[in-house]
Amino acid sequence: MAGICCGVVGEGETSATIEPSSRALKRRKMELLTYKFIADVAAVPATAAVEFSRKRRKLELCASGCSSSRGCDNGVESSGARNKDGSEGSQANEASRLNLPLNLCENSALEHVENESLHLVNPKFGVTSVCGRRRDMEDAVSIHPCFSQQEGSVQNGFHFFGVFDGHGCSHVAMKCKDRLHEIVKDELESDRAVEVQWKETMERSFTRMDEEVQESNGSDRISNCRCELRTPQCDAVGATAVVAVVTPEKIVVSNCGDSRAVLCRNGVAIPLSSDHKPDRPDELVRIEAAGGRVIYWDGPRVLGMLAMSRAIGDNYLKPYVIPEPEVTVTDRTDDDECLILASDGLWDVVSNDTACGVARMCLRAQKRPSAPRSPGNSGEDKKDAAFESSNKACSDASILLTKLALARHSTDNVSVVVVDLRRER
Amino acid sequence: MSLASSSATCLSSAIRNNSPEHESFQKFFECWLSGQNQHLQELISAAKSPASAADEAALRSLIERVVKHYECYYRAKATWSRRDVLAMLTPSWRSTLEDAFLWIGGWRPSMAFHLLYSKSGLQLEAPGRLSELINAMTTTTATATAIREDLADISPEQLSRVDGLQRRTIKEEKEISEEMAKRQETLAAPDIVELSHVVSEQMTAGGGGSRDGDEEEEEERVETALKPKEKGLEEVLERADELRLRTLKDVIHLLTPIQAVHFLIAAAELHLRIHEWGKKRDAKTHQQRHLD
Repeated sequence: MAGICCGVVGEGETSATIEPSSRALKRRKMELLTYKFIADVAAVPATAAVEFSRKRRKLELCASGCSSSRGCDNGVESSGARNKDGSEGSQANEASRLNLPLNLCENSALEHVENESLHLVNPKFGVTSVCGRRRDMEDAVSIHPCFSQQEGSVQNGFHFFGVFDGHGCSHVAMKCKDRLHEIVKDELESDRAVEVQWKETMERSFTRMDEEVQESNGSDRISNCRCELRTPQCDAVGATAVVAVVTPEKIVVSNCGDSRAVLCRNGVAIPLSSDHKPDRPDELVRIEAAGGRVIYWDGPRVLGMLAMSRAIGDNYLKPYVIPEPEVTVTDRTDDDECLILASDGLWDVVSNDTACGVARMCLRAQKRPSAPRSPGNSGEDKKDAAFESSNKACSDASILLTKLALARHSTDNVSVVVVDLRRER
Repeated sequence: MSLASSSATCLSSAIRNNSPEHESFQKFFECWLSGQNQHLQELISAAKSPASAADEAALRSLIERVVKHYECYYRAKATWSRRDVLAMLTPSWRSTLEDAFLWIGGWRPSMAFHLLYSKSGLQLEAPGRLSELINAMTTTTATATAIREDLADISPEQLSRVDGLQRRTIKEEKEISEEMAKRQETLAAPDIVELSHVVSEQMTAGGGGSRDGDEEEEEERVETALKPKEKGLEEVLERADELRLRTLKDVIHLLTPIQAVHFLIAAAELHLRIHEWGKKRDAKTHQQRHLD
């Protein structure tokens, strides 16, 4: 595995750099991605797949120079996607000890491209996920940059962002966090079409996710799951899922439930998903056609029980509540600023416009790259600094939105992901 | 007289007093409340004074004194609860309003996080504060310190630690509640059920009247049977109080000194005002009852 370089960033450090000790190494440095990660990125949760820490961060640096991009893939498998460290509620200091199974992988197809494009390919984002005023944490966040790695494939530049809001218990949301990106990756890789058929791919993925949830009911339940002791069959458990696959050209949002994705384009908030509420006219028609009823009991609810019309899981409400996502495919433009994915803990109290305004201000307030750290001040250093500060801006945005939601008395778990979509200038 | 010693004075004078347990704790409690009120004034003036590097030490020592005052409260509570746990679980010095919101004889530990989020939210939503925070992101760290800090400033790392602490606190709170449930259920254990039956039988057989000797013996048996149950409650109360104090300290520990001052102000204000409102309402109800 000569092609893989792994660095563990220790406490207090803000970067993992690979020191070039020879000419050859120096040359390789151009190919290596020496990413710097900001400790302040506020990923809180045990439930987030991407978990950051000041204390311990694992930073996988995958070499662009690897002869086969499989190397990167293995990197993802071994430490990223397989990370199970943060099982909910198990660790005394889990929130402050966040692992970062973040794999920043470059692929062989892009290895000779200028550094500019390397930065363009890697996503900058911030994530915050807190329990808030709830007594249980049922949200889960999953972030996987370059989640699909295939030699010479355009799919190498695809990034996965998902927010899952569980109800009944957290285990369906957790399962989505652990598995959905792998399912989507699998579907993408088995898709032989020249152009990705996004709608079909994502629909198939969500269906498979739902099937896996059904199969796992009663078997490999997460040990800390609080419903474990209650019912042998956890049929009344489900999760919303809002997933964004960001490619160099497109933003593909698949939504099932009442979490939401909002694009901030030139200061304007554009929702890329539409909440699945039981009283949404077309959803109401669909539910009634299937023989179900929407009963008002503390708001509109399917059969008077579930306050959303689509979700992963919730077997007891099938076929009225379905796991089928609505998929939107949006072409990226130079006016795009950021993408916000969040659970209803945010959207219940903060409007799309306000969220967009706050995120935009944070991105704009981003600190200028400061003076070079090393005397051998190269353009690369400056870019690293810019990358760092952009990540900081995204985490500033996600945390400020979370604080705003809490300030406005959000009574739910709050999870916010902010993805920087600005092109390098 | 420093406040630390004032709470000690409260304690010693209340102990010296030979009145029944609950009465002397009431005296201690009232004395402690006036100490809390005095601390509140100090905290408020500290929060108002302009920030400077020099006063950080002063803030720290003020916080330390306030925390010591809380510690003193829980020490006193532990002493009294060893003598009369029942009085500590149904505190007559609290108003009915407070009583209704008590969790195992005191405030619910997870409330600390709601208090923090509410206060932080109010400060974040204060006019101009949000844009001030965003502007602060552009400025360098050196100039950023000049901006007045409060709970709106909670950093990503702090929020992450608060969230972790909250989850652990709720988990412990649930465990203690479960423990309490177990102890409460023991009231229907065979020994008590049997005793209640035997005594009932005796009452029926004796036609209501019983001899003095029997009564004494019965009282002794009841005491013996209840003693371990009370001991169980005492242990749960001790755990609950330990969690309360630890949660308070842990929250303060992860805040900056000025943030901790704001948090302690919010905590004292809530405690004192709820107590007052409750007392006023009780007085009114009492008056009403007299008029009827």
